[in-house]
Amino acid sequence: MNTASHTPPTDERLSAWLDGELPPAQAADIDAWLTQHPEDAARVRLWAADRDALRARLGPMVDEPLPEAFAESVWRSTPQRSVWWRWAAAASAVFALGGVVGALGVWQLRSSPSAQLAAQPAAGWVQRAAVAHAVYVPEQRHPVEVSVSGASAEENRAQEEHLARWLTRRLGFAVKLFDLRGKGFELVGGRLLPDAAGPSAQLMYQAREPAANGAAPARVTVYLRKPEDGTDFAFRYERQGELSLFYCVEGGVGYAVAGKLPREQLLALAESIYRQQPGAK
Amino acid sequence: MQATSCFRQQLLSAIPRVRRYAHSLVMEGSTADDLVQTTLERALSHWHQFDQRRDIVVWLLSIAHNAHRDTQRRGMRLLIVDPQVLQAQQDQQHSDPGADVGLRMDLLAALQHLTPEQREPLLLVTVEDLSYAECAEVLHIPIGTVMSRISRARAALRILLDGRPAATVHALHRVV
Repeated sequence: MNTASHTPPTDERLSAWLDGELPPAQAADIDAWLTQHPEDAARVRLWAADRDALRARLGPMVDEPLPEAFAESVWRSTPQRSVWWRWAAAASAVFALGGVVGALGVWQLRSSPSAQLAAQPAAGWVQRAAVAHAVYVPEQRHPVEVSVSGASAEENRAQEEHLARWLTRRLGFAVKLFDLRGKGFELVGGRLLPDAAGPSAQLMYQAREPAANGAAPARVTVYLRKPEDGTDFAFRYERQGELSLFYCVEGGVGYAVAGKLPREQLLALAESIYRQQPGAK
Repeated sequence: MQATSCFRQQLLSAIPRVRRYAHSLVMEGSTADDLVQTTLERALSHWHQFDQRRDIVVWLLSIAHNAHRDTQRRGMRLLIVDPQVLQAQQDQQHSDPGADVGLRMDLLAALQHLTPEQREPLLLVTVEDLSYAECAEVLHIPIGTVMSRISRARAALRILLDGRPAATVHALHRVV
């Protein structure tokens, strides 16, 4: 527009131009105006210099280490303490009852309505997780479909990346290979499995140390699947004979941790997984 | 109902930016971190109100803004730099133009001299890189107001940094 370059732009428009907030045609008018009016151009340059100075002075704050209190409150706060503490407390109370455990099987440890709604659909897939655990854990030669133990650390990493990408593609949510080394368990690998309505996955972990009685190192599996629509949150512990199962539906992912471990140890593993769980998408 | 771990992860990753904004707004370290803490607590207790399609940083900044307002209403005041102190800093800067520290002090002091209505949108758009629309959302004001406040903030900041009397600048630039 020819006339535009004869109408002095307001400070507001010059400022919006600097922030890239004007539509292209109007921005072009300002461009033209500024080339013809060096005094205005100099003023806008000063604003730009102030903007750059503010960014330079205040911007780097994002890289400063955070006070630990923030991370703690993110994981713990809300009116109640962490669900894990409540779970542990509830589990202790339940286990004090001893034999009742076997008789009832599934323990509903959360009282929210959504957990109750989720109770029925959860049962089937948790059973499949238990069966998958029982089938593949004793396997010595082919415990997993994709192994992550290569000849070198680099090869391991490449395999882990491959496994995570493959499962993410097939399961339709971001699959994270949980790092349980802090709890003494190494990732062996994973496999794709058929669930009721689609694919699921099993990750297998093995204890670094052999069992105390000289038996093979303990193995733990993590079963992952996409929950049914409407399953918002579920969170339970179940014991089937020697096998402990802990399962949770959260953030668009259902996962079950299974192992022949004391419940405290399984709880510690499940907690570690819970903290690493990336959630949906 | 508890916040999901997915939400908590998002929250965690957004803290540095919320903290930066809080510190640029309040400047006094422990008060700024209190503001971050309040923001996190409010976010956790209202997490179900967060629309996953939105940018969590914008949502959190909006919470921080409200929390900051509440704090101010309760009588806590921003640290206002004494005009004489500001003048002394400017003199120091003029006598030693190479002193970077003097320059920085001057910029932040000048920033604190803006009204909150000017300072907030200026920080959100320049330092936090928000669009005018996002800024309007955070501050609960129309986009046109964001635009005029930022423009006024820039002019005011210039006056403070130049040490020029306001009248001259207005005479020069309020042509239209």
